[in-house]
Amino acid sequence: MSTNVFYDHFERHSHGQGLKGHSTHYCAGCGHGIVHRSLAEVIGELGVQDRTVLISPVGCSVFAHYYFDVGNSQAAHGRAPAVALGHKLANPGAIVISYQGDGDLASIGLAETISIAQMGLPITVVFVNNAIYGMTGGQLAPTSLMGQKTATSVEGRTPAMGRPLKMAELMAQLDGPVYVERVALFDARQRMKARKALRKALQLQIEGRGYAFIEVLAECPTHLKMSPEHAEAWVREEMVPVFPLGTKKDLTVEPWFHPAAPSFEPEKILGLSGAEPVEVNKEPPIPHIPGLEDICLKLAGAGGDGAQTAALLLARAAIAEGYDATHIPSYGPESRGGTSYADVHIAAGEVLNPAAAEPDILVAFNAPSLAKFAGSVPPGGLILYDSTVITTPPEVPSDRRVLGVPFTQLAREISRPMVKNVVALGALQAATGLLPPERILSTLRQLLKDKPSMLPVNETAFLAGQRAVESMVAVP
Amino acid sequence: MSNLPPSRPKPFLEPAYCKGCLRCIEACPRECITPGTEINPVTGLVPVILHLENCNGCTLCVQACPEPFGLRIDPTHGGLEGEFRLEDPEKLFGKKIVEVLTTGDLPDTQIPLPDCEPLVLKGTYASAVGALLAGCRHVYGYPITPSTEGAELMAKMLPKLGGSWIQAVSEVAAVNMMYGTGGAGLPVMTFTSSPGFSLMLEGISYMIGAEVPGVFVNIMRGGPGLGNIAPEQTDIKLACRGLGHGNTHALVFAPSTPQEMLDLTIDAFALSFRYRNPVVVLGDGYLGQMTGVVKLPSHLLKPGLPAWAVWGDRAHRHNLVNSIHLSEPDLEAHNENLNAKYAAMGACQQRSDLYRCEDAEVLVVACNTPARMAKGAVEVARSRGIKAGLFRPITLWPFPIGALKELLPQVTQIVVVEASPGQLEDELRLALSHADVATPPITHVRRFGGILPQQSEILARIEETQGALV
Ligand code: SF4
Ligand code: SF4
Ligand code: SF4
Repeated sequence: MSTNVFYDHFERHSHGQGLKGHSTHYCAGCGHGIVHRSLAEVIGELGVQDRTVLISPVGCSVFAHYYFDVGNSQAAHGRAPAVALGHKLANPGAIVISYQGDGDLASIGLAETISIAQMGLPITVVFVNNAIYGMTGGQLAPTSLMGQKTATSVEGRTPAMGRPLKMAELMAQLDGPVYVERVALFDARQRMKARKALRKALQLQIEGRGYAFIEVLAECPTHLKMSPEHAEAWVREEMVPVFPLGTKKDLTVEPWFHPAAPSFEPEKILGLSGAEPVEVNKEPPIPHIPGLEDICLKLAGAGGDGAQTAALLLARAAIAEGYDATHIPSYGPESRGGTSYADVHIAAGEVLNPAAAEPDILVAFNAPSLAKFAGSVPPGGLILYDSTVITTPPEVPSDRRVLGVPFTQLAREISRPMVKNVVALGALQAATGLLPPERILSTLRQLLKDKPSMLPVNETAFLAGQRAVESMVAVP
Repeated sequence: MSNLPPSRPKPFLEPAYCKGCLRCIEACPRECITPGTEINPVTGLVPVILHLENCNGCTLCVQACPEPFGLRIDPTHGGLEGEFRLEDPEKLFGKKIVEVLTTGDLPDTQIPLPDCEPLVLKGTYASAVGALLAGCRHVYGYPITPSTEGAELMAKMLPKLGGSWIQAVSEVAAVNMMYGTGGAGLPVMTFTSSPGFSLMLEGISYMIGAEVPGVFVNIMRGGPGLGNIAPEQTDIKLACRGLGHGNTHALVFAPSTPQEMLDLTIDAFALSFRYRNPVVVLGDGYLGQMTGVVKLPSHLLKPGLPAWAVWGDRAHRHNLVNSIHLSEPDLEAHNENLNAKYAAMGACQQRSDLYRCEDAEVLVVACNTPARMAKGAVEVARSRGIKAGLFRPITLWPFPIGALKELLPQVTQIVVVEASPGQLEDELRLALSHADVATPPITHVRRFGGILPQQSEILARIEETQGALV
């Protein structure tokens, strides 16, 4: 028998002083000590002491790290499986054991217990069920028996306090675990079976076959207010009928857990991020709207109008041209309610305020958007709207420029109604001279580089928008 | 059992380590153990007595003993090796799948990034890309607007980078997964938003207590309760003063551009490891959505493994991640260590950005997106002849009081601009009070409920202060 997985000296137990350097903090006859011993032995036998990470819970076994000479982490109440998962994902080669009592696993941590079991990653959960809260002093546990008297079920457990949770059965009906067994400690035979189950559970993890759950019916003589001998009898006679022993699930699964090593290849990361680098104009930017250091636009329409795409394209083109630019999509409940609007800023220097509360340019794709924002355009500003769907021009003071262009009609003419936002960009470019047309087109080309078949329509749409405006007004 | 050779090793008991529970008695089929009769003077307990004449070394008693140093196999018995052959794990399971580290402390590696044109990214994406460049391959979270897009990008990328994105059952589970991966010594993060951040606070307290690094990107939204999903800055209080129970603090960054979302996320990882403490990046909903130009750093980081990591290998076997210290003097000493760490962060990590502050008499104080509106207002105020400047804290904890103090002699008015009913102003006032400096009059522009202060109202307040002065 090898017990070398325990520390030679329990330095963490009251600094290892006196007797505490060699004895546990557990009460005489406590089942935890026996589970510890079996677990330590199988870790030793399987030769995984140098790979094991033990997660101790909140409960009487909170100090498991006093004893086990392995990597140790102490988790918050109920969260040991989450911590275990964090360790397994960080270090798939580690053998991770979540050691928990009934309050921890079956009450406060139930959501973690079940959800992490369902993930099925190879970790080992050891559930010590003694039907009572130990650490806090003998209160009702989720696994206390009906009628059991505890500090918080003074007259005995009633149905109104909930009925005992049969965790092993619950876990066995989940798809995640490959092996679930309930064992006990009340006699030599049971202890042998318990040891075997622990060994098998660890083996399944070592071989990368899956998640295992071992429920151990254990004695808490202190709070049962019994001698250890009577506590053993109580587990055998009272607990076992409610929590039947045995294997609840045992799947044959081939080893499958071979996670890839993390990649740190720069090209791979940048490629995957989907973020297209912008080739920035090396020439200093030429302000295309003289007198404006910072121009702000609002593009507004219904959900499918493409206001966001057009706004983003504009911002990218501006950045490529050498300006600073920002884009903020409509945000908040509006984005669900059908209206979609985008704020864009383009600045020769730095965009200071990215909001467009008073847009110099409003591009409106539908009547509600026009009604909502036309009034916010300051003197000298431009309102550009889709005259196909908006039949009445906005009533604004005459020092605002108003231009209706049939975005939808022009898009229909090239049999692609969805490119009306690009028509709008063409119109915008022609009406304001904001950014050179070639810059907008090259940005368009870059964005469509994975869908080259879409390019001609989009280019046509842009030109159509431009031409429509040129035919209406003198280019500024 | 009775056929076992009598040469097997026999149990051995150091009476001082026996608690007298008697579980071994029932276990022995040969009745070799009897209850003791005398109180052990060292323990005050009554150890059992062994009579090993009939003992066949079956070890059933040992299996029954809850005490590791209670019943054991006689360590002086010579035949141990010959009798019990342990299976060779290498034969059973093949080679270990981890490299066995020979040193506990593996340094990080800097990998050059190719020269790259700037990217156009929204704030949450910039933060996600920053995290990847900082070497983070483990992201855990729970979907919550308006932070979800960062998580979604990670969910898309991490599986292809040998990393892990886990959508946890709740934020409570997510933060504890972070505790695990951070405790294993690797960079780990989450994207969350105000209600989710509330749920994570318990876990953050544990991380701070156990000195576990991790980065929390909180894209703040309107509250309290479910509030709404529009931008607010009302978690400043939580991040600066309320990181769960106990004596907790963490560095709190307040970016105001997508570029800063990337840069500060990268810094957050480095500092969370330097101090072995979580770092909070507070963005607002507007910034999370804002697309802007983002330049990448020259290098990315491949993380090593710190000496303290709970990795489970021999080099790290003695390590423990833990926040429980049962004895009062131990916990007091632990808190003194934390205090020293907080003091070091306070002294070394204050960051701020000053815009036209050289001769500023009206000092606008703002962070995150409202700082950009404030910058616009300062610019206009300047054009109208008002000596206005913007003091933008980049760290909210520690508040950059050092830089602010230097400006104060010429400042006649402070205007705090925030999307919160005064949480930034509280931090400012607290910092001024601790610094024991004369405070100029403070006024403010406060919006909340998802509405950000606009440039026009900030400007109006700046001009009002001038009116009050003349
Ligand atoms: S209270 Fe119960 S479970 Fe806790 S150590 Fe004592 S006997 Fe064991
Ligand atoms: S080793 Fe077997 S026979 Fe000997 S004392 Fe223990 S239980 Fe009894
Ligand atoms: S089982 Fe161990 S602690 Fe209990 S009486 Fe026997 S030797 Fe002592």
